Amino acid sequence: MSEATQGSVETVTFTLNDREITVPKGTTVMAAARLKDVYIPHFCWHPGLKIAGVCRFCLVKVDNRPKLEIACNLTATPGMKVSSVLPEVKEAHKWALEFHLVNHPLDCPICDQAGECKLQDYYMEVGKYKSEMDRPKVLKPKALDIGSELVLDTERCILCDRCVRFEEEVTKTGALGIFNRGDRAVVGTYPDKKIEHNYQDNLVDICPVGAFTSRDFRFKQRVWFLKDKPAVCPGCSTGCHVDVYAKPQVRSYFRLKPRESAVNGFWMCDKGRNTYKHMNQEQRLRFPLVAEGSVARRKTTVDEALAALVGRLLAANKEDVALLVSAQYTCEEYKTLFDLFVVKLGVSKVYQWREPTEDLKAFDGLLYRGDHNPNTRGLSEALKAAGLPSEVNNGFDELVRQAPPLVIALGPEVAFQFPSLPAQLKQLEQLPFVSLWTIDGAAANYAGLKHLLPMKGFAEKRGHYLNFEAKVGELADPFPAGSDDARDVTEVVAALGDLFAHSL
Amino acid sequence: MAGVVKVALPPRDTNLFQMAFGYTSTILTGMMKTFSIFWVQITGKEKTETREWPEQPATYSDRFKGKHFLTRRDDGQVRCTACFLCATACPAECIHIVAGQHPSNEIEKFPVRFEIDILRCVFCGFCEEACPVDAIRLGPEYAMSGLSGDKWIYTKDYLADRGELHGGISSVKVENEKHFTTDHHPHGDDLIATDAPHMRHH
Amino acid sequence: MAQDKPRIILRTEGLANPRALKTYIEHAEGYTAIKKVLGGAVTREQLIEEVKASGLRGRGGAGFPTGLKWTFVPQSDTGPKYLICNNDESEPGTFKDRHICTVNPHQVIEGMVLAAFAIKANKGYIYTRWEFQEEIGYLVEAIKEAYAAGFLGKNILGSGFDFDLDHYSGAGAYICGEETGLISSLEGKKGQPKVKPPFPAVSGYLGRPTIVNNTETLANVPWIVNHGAKEFRQYGTEKSPGSKLFSISGALVRPGVYEVPLGYPFERLVQEECGGYLPGRSLQALIPGGASAPLLTPEEVKGLTLDYEAMASRGTMLGSGAIMIIDDRQVLAELLKVTIEFFAHESCGQCTPCREGTGWLNNIMDGVLGGTAKPDSVERMRTVAKHMGGKTICALSDACAMPVTSYVQKFSGQLQAYLAQAAAAGSHVK
Repeated sequence: MSEATQGSVETVTFTLNDREITVPKGTTVMAAARLKDVYIPHFCWHPGLKIAGVCRFCLVKVDNRPKLEIACNLTATPGMKVSSVLPEVKEAHKWALEFHLVNHPLDCPICDQAGECKLQDYYMEVGKYKSEMDRPKVLKPKALDIGSELVLDTERCILCDRCVRFEEEVTKTGALGIFNRGDRAVVGTYPDKKIEHNYQDNLVDICPVGAFTSRDFRFKQRVWFLKDKPAVCPGCSTGCHVDVYAKPQVRSYFRLKPRESAVNGFWMCDKGRNTYKHMNQEQRLRFPLVAEGSVARRKTTVDEALAALVGRLLAANKEDVALLVSAQYTCEEYKTLFDLFVVKLGVSKVYQWREPTEDLKAFDGLLYRGDHNPNTRGLSEALKAAGLPSEVNNGFDELVRQAPPLVIALGPEVAFQFPSLPAQLKQLEQLPFVSLWTIDGAAANYAGLKHLLPMKGFAEKRGHYLNFEAKVGELADPFPAGSDDARDVTEVVAALGDLFAHSL
Repeated sequence: MAGVVKVALPPRDTNLFQMAFGYTSTILTGMMKTFSIFWVQITGKEKTETREWPEQPATYSDRFKGKHFLTRRDDGQVRCTACFLCATACPAECIHIVAGQHPSNEIEKFPVRFEIDILRCVFCGFCEEACPVDAIRLGPEYAMSGLSGDKWIYTKDYLADRGELHGGISSVKVENEKHFTTDHHPHGDDLIATDAPHMRHH
Repeated sequence: MAQDKPRIILRTEGLANPRALKTYIEHAEGYTAIKKVLGGAVTREQLIEEVKASGLRGRGGAGFPTGLKWTFVPQSDTGPKYLICNNDESEPGTFKDRHICTVNPHQVIEGMVLAAFAIKANKGYIYTRWEFQEEIGYLVEAIKEAYAAGFLGKNILGSGFDFDLDHYSGAGAYICGEETGLISSLEGKKGQPKVKPPFPAVSGYLGRPTIVNNTETLANVPWIVNHGAKEFRQYGTEKSPGSKLFSISGALVRPGVYEVPLGYPFERLVQEECGGYLPGRSLQALIPGGASAPLLTPEEVKGLTLDYEAMASRGTMLGSGAIMIIDDRQVLAELLKVTIEFFAHESCGQCTPCREGTGWLNNIMDGVLGGTAKPDSVERMRTVAKHMGGKTICALSDACAMPVTSYVQKFSGQLQAYLAQAAAAGSHVK
């Protein structure tokens, strides 16, 4: 904490596990522990939701108080001495876990949550006991269809109430409730209601056990085979910070999960979660396709494809060359692109490629925005830096009308956010020569496109996006590209630059 | 650039006689063993171990870890729940599973594909030990000769459909664990206890 | 010299037409206390001080000092505040509030007006359990009468003080007798307790300061105002002043509700008021304060007086004053099963130790009675009950754990007999 903020916020100092910590006044012991990286086991508490205090797991001992208290609803007061590691507290944690597991089906082998399940984690951390439960368990409905993206297993549910609070507080849809009482209590949707919003998979994330599982990810992979790396969602101009889960050895991506940040809090939308699919083998353009002269379009190497493009560029006047740029690439890619084409080669025709049906002002009040490009701001900045008009406009129709002889088109990465893309690609087919740089495998179906270069996905490159409010989202730790021939714009431009240098 | 090969030489202070005696005596000891066995067998005092396979089949220990098979429930379904624990435990990474949603909610998860790349398999038996539902076992079959390449990836059907195996082990296992999908009264008599150990961890 | 057996609450008991406003006014100083207070003879502060001085403790079970509770309402808060009469009498064995509603409902209403005046609440609710359909009728009738007579509503007795009183009833859940559970139910939500803090006195009904008092507690207030704290303290003991209604049930000649001073000898209550045990019956165990109170053995009952301290010294509690005589013909194991089943059924299912613990204990008891339990089941019940206690939002978990612990401690022989039987039959082996 900086000195300036320390001066403006009243603080309290208390002792947690013999360590003095200072937090803003009104902070609960649980939140304070989280701020200071002390881990107190819990199920129902979630930093993005109100306090429920029902799992009774986060018990801590406060000096001079007879009973153990729950850390999540315990406001830190000056001088308070709190322990989460005393033997009596550990015993309480162990039994809290035992109570949670009494009626849990322990069907870990078929549960998608296995491997990232809090019950499993805590068993290894605070449990490791032999169960005392030797009676028949309560059985509840399994594999229920409660939403388009969700499957609910009420038997696995530990009734932590997180999902109910999410529905009430975050999406304000209130479709979920806990019904019945005692150990017959089940979570479920109200009669004739389904969960029907764009934030369903957050329920899967906040569910500490395997009660909610994602229909998309269901049974696809065990999580311990997956590797996750931070990235930024390319689905819209909010630019949620995400973790991308992939199995690099088979070049497959499996899911996105939100990563806590000031941009998106703890959540992300379901649309955004689909933005990994285009990087998978069956959907992506894996190799260059080039038609040269009388030779029909065929698969070539990247070097050949670039040589062919350079040949065309050398033969063309700079007035004949136009760039068609979608707002789905990183700031660095735009900079190198414009440095070469606009600054060095003097190309002045740069058109923005946007979806004609988009509604830039649309916003669902939570995260999802009408501008379905992650880097509209970054493109504007890059255009401005290159001395070109920078306001957001769709230049696609204008480009088609002008029909320049040589077009270099940076296609949108997330094709499903561009419903008009098939029509637009058809229009591009009509132009004399278009070099389309894209990751979208569907582009290969348009035989009239004579020059296709495979691009890397957002999880495979380094760079930055600027979101709608110019906050920076960083792509810092890329996965290896899903195809050997895939390049990002920076690499392509660098190679083109080299080829020019050799040719001139 | 030839590498230097080091040979263990007798110590320098050993004389020629000692060397000759040492080598000769060990050779003779070995020869004696060979001849004694040769003599025992040629005189028919002990039966020879050479057999005319495959006409005369060989039997191995019951615990022999040979070709894998997948067990079935008594309703005929493959027992495997596609939990991937065998694939996780496999040191040779030779098990490939594709899981799917079973039409019946009582089974829920099942292997759409279950393949073992037998050429990679090291027959360690870890898959058998990792399995929480006794769905995969290493059977008594040891003869795995074949000709073309594609035979070496055993499919789910092949692994599960060898019924009564050579060696007499049935691949059908009696089912005694179930999942219910309907809401039962929690304390009714019709419930079946899970005697499973408390927690299974990968 | 005070009478030996005061009539503080059941003042109209035994009179003709006891519930009528007229009877209350004529025979029980009806509505004189509010005239005194609203007339300006007693200020708000004096009223609270008087109740504090009287040592009146909550009669719902916990025994928290009532005057002190009233002072928890933030005085600086000028927004709406609420007073709720907790008439959701659901502790098994308790039927005293029901008797008050039947005999003297107006005294509760008068007590509510006084309490509302003390905490500056202008809206009150009486929350009665669903099963008391007849009593609900009495209360609604009494409220109507009080409105008609100007004891409720706008500008009561020309004092400028407004107090509206409504009646409300839940669906009959035990947990709605817990004050925050009651508030949830009153708000139209599933009746389950809320996590504390914040306490209802700060943020209760609809997030506003709310005081929840038991029916009997409120019925004491008019008498205290009329007669003063000093006279109130002549009854009962030093720490438990006043009288208390006891609902006594079991194998007695005259079981029922009796008003006796706190500290009254148990044996005297049985012999004098209740006419002794039924012929041929003797005491096997005593439940002194409703189903959630730990059991007492006949030895422990010797010399027992009915007050909070004597109960606490014997490791049990006075609770709501529901005394249940368990005579020698009862099977204690079945009693325990019924008790646990009740709590397992009534647990709201919110907190894990209670939800799973009550169900688990019930499950074990099924096994014990059904002959399928493992031999160490009694020990297991003790462990489970031990870890259920003191860890939940409300006291239901403890309410289930305490009788189990006391039973296992004092009467485990009967359970062991069941287990031995099962072991002999081999039926505990699955």
